[in-house]
Amino acid sequence: MKAIHKVDDIVRLGMHSLWVHAMRSALTALGIIIAVCSVIVMMAINEGTGKEAQRALRALGSDNIIIDSVKPPNTGDASSSSHTALNYGLTNIDVARMRGCIPGIIRCSVTHRTQQYAHLGTVNLPVSLIATEPVFEQIARVKLTTGRFISHSDVLRRKPHCVITQELARKLFIFHDPLNKTIRIGNEPFVVVGVLREMPLALGGQGDSAGNVVIVPYEVDIRRFGEYTITQSTGSRSFERVEVSQFILQMADEQAVLDGADIARALLIREHEQQDYRVTVPRELIEQKKRQQRLWNIMFLSIASISLVVGGIGIMNIMLASVTERTREIGIRRALGAKRRDIVVQFLVEAVTLTTAGGILGIGIGVLLPQLLEHINSEIKTEVVPALLLLPLSMAVGVGLIAGLYPAFRAARLDPITALRHE
Amino acid sequence: MSDIVRLEELWKIYRLATTTVPALRSVSLTIRQGEYITIMGKSGSGKSTMLNILGCLDRPTHGKYFIGGQDVSALTDNELSDVRNNKIGFVFQSFNLVQQLTILENIEVPLFYQGMPRSSRRERSRHMAELVGLGDRASHRPRELSGGQQQRVAIARALANDPLIILADEPTGNLDSSTTQDILDLFDELHAGGKTIIIVTHEKDVAAHTERIIVLADGLVKSDARNESAGTRL
Ligand SMILES: Nc1ncnc2c1ncn2[C@@H]1O[C@H](COP(=O)(O)OP(=O)(O)OP(=O)(O)O)[C@@H](O)[C@H]1O
Ligand SMILES: [Mg+2]
Repeated sequence: MKAIHKVDDIVRLGMHSLWVHAMRSALTALGIIIAVCSVIVMMAINEGTGKEAQRALRALGSDNIIIDSVKPPNTGDASSSSHTALNYGLTNIDVARMRGCIPGIIRCSVTHRTQQYAHLGTVNLPVSLIATEPVFEQIARVKLTTGRFISHSDVLRRKPHCVITQELARKLFIFHDPLNKTIRIGNEPFVVVGVLREMPLALGGQGDSAGNVVIVPYEVDIRRFGEYTITQSTGSRSFERVEVSQFILQMADEQAVLDGADIARALLIREHEQQDYRVTVPRELIEQKKRQQRLWNIMFLSIASISLVVGGIGIMNIMLASVTERTREIGIRRALGAKRRDIVVQFLVEAVTLTTAGGILGIGIGVLLPQLLEHINSEIKTEVVPALLLLPLSMAVGVGLIAGLYPAFRAARLDPITALRHE
Repeated sequence: MSDIVRLEELWKIYRLATTTVPALRSVSLTIRQGEYITIMGKSGSGKSTMLNILGCLDRPTHGKYFIGGQDVSALTDNELSDVRNNKIGFVFQSFNLVQQLTILENIEVPLFYQGMPRSSRRERSRHMAELVGLGDRASHRPRELSGGQQQRVAIARALANDPLIILADEPTGNLDSSTTQDILDLFDELHAGGKTIIIVTHEKDVAAHTERIIVLADGLVKSDARNESAGTRL
């Protein structure tokens, strides 16, 4: 009971003497305010951009493993002079092996991509021809504006059906309904059965003709165009042969994703002499992103702790000055019955009150500032995580404790008689 | 009446770098409940030293000191703080009020360290302020009061925790003769109310108010006598 009264009163006492020197207290706390506020703002931006990146990765399908064929870097110009075909990337054997060895596959799809030209009337446009399987719709979360995706019956009956992107539809058909119209890819006629709302992210950003995509059944494509991609460069032609451009596996659960990715990598590294493939695991990337974010947060907190230490030195300085200034008061309090402990607590509470007030003010500003930033520049994404507010605050409190400790003990060590005589 | 203070062969020796200064040399005396005493003596004779020891601000080098039957010569710092808090009331020559605090808050300081709840503290300190005739100045700061008024606040503060003894080191040293008279009247009143009061002073006028005069010289009790004239003054 007695102790509780004392704590309450001593906090009041601390606030009281801070209030007496309001200006000095405010200036001293400024360092703490800025340190706390800046770390919160930095963490909010980090969190905001991180969340944004995670959202994008999640759109790739967090239960997918995406394996792309990539042209190995060291085979650039050598093949352009010769007429031999450049072979690289995933093969059907790779695909068969992975299908056989990796447990927990729900669905998987093979994609073959070539560059072709699409014609309609007089319009002639370069397009990415993507040959794939009907399951691609589920795996890549394809969204359609009209019509349907290529179906199993298209595959079985070898129907020359295709699905095109909205952008391509606009370019080819302008205002007309593209459904059931025939377009020509190369010299082959294809009937449009559906229009994609947007490029599936799994295919995103890879084609030369980014938005112009035609999706056809895999078997139809192989039968009609063969497996070669002919790249025309200035003066010469190069032939590239890529059996499988992309292989996507949709897995049963998180563990299956991680294990599957390991198995796929192990299989591929054994069969491929060069790095002509890329394994993308959105789940791993999300984890990596999170780790990265955490790392940044740790860095921000370390920067903040440096500024807090600087702020703490300021506070210690002020507290030492305060102890000297109030030597007489300390003597009086001791003569009237204050124990050493009471004096320690009084000065500690004063220091901690100062930094805590600074910390709370810093949090207040730190919470408002990100909103202001978002308001000014809509590209800035921020997110204030409540749990991350407590850390800088407790650091500020800790700094107050540490910075107040030495001055407080110095105050308590004063001899009451000497302190009473102090001018 | 019972002994509330007993000093037995009390020594206080200050050890300096080159010499040692014996400020008190084997002082023995007893003080009874309700006594009104002055301690006199030349400058440097050990008056303040003795008062500081009596007030448990300082420890004797040798000897025993009993207060209210309790041996306080070997107490820890914390225990001495408690003794000061509960049994001693100090009045200083330079008032020693905390400038940042109001009159009421100053009077509350000893109660604060007793752990008295705020509301009772406020009530008690207001009562004490009224007792010394400063009820209307309760929320003023010490700076805004005259020397005599400040000393009355200090006396109110010394009385707040209802101590066994009031110790005053030259309480009128900084006051002019008419305010000195006011303060002495206050002490007289307290004495009449049964308080034990010890005043250190140089002034004969002050000593004349008290019933017993102890004279120190070079750390020794030179004389310790009843003051027969005191009664007539009351
Ligand atoms: N802290 C100290 N260190 C060393 N010597 C001290 C100390 N305090 C007091 N003394 C010495 O002890 C002796 C007694 O001092 P004290 O202050 O008790 O005298 P006093 O009677 O109160 O004198 P005054 O009338 O001037 O106040 C003096 O010789 C003084 O120099
Ligand atoms: Mg003295």
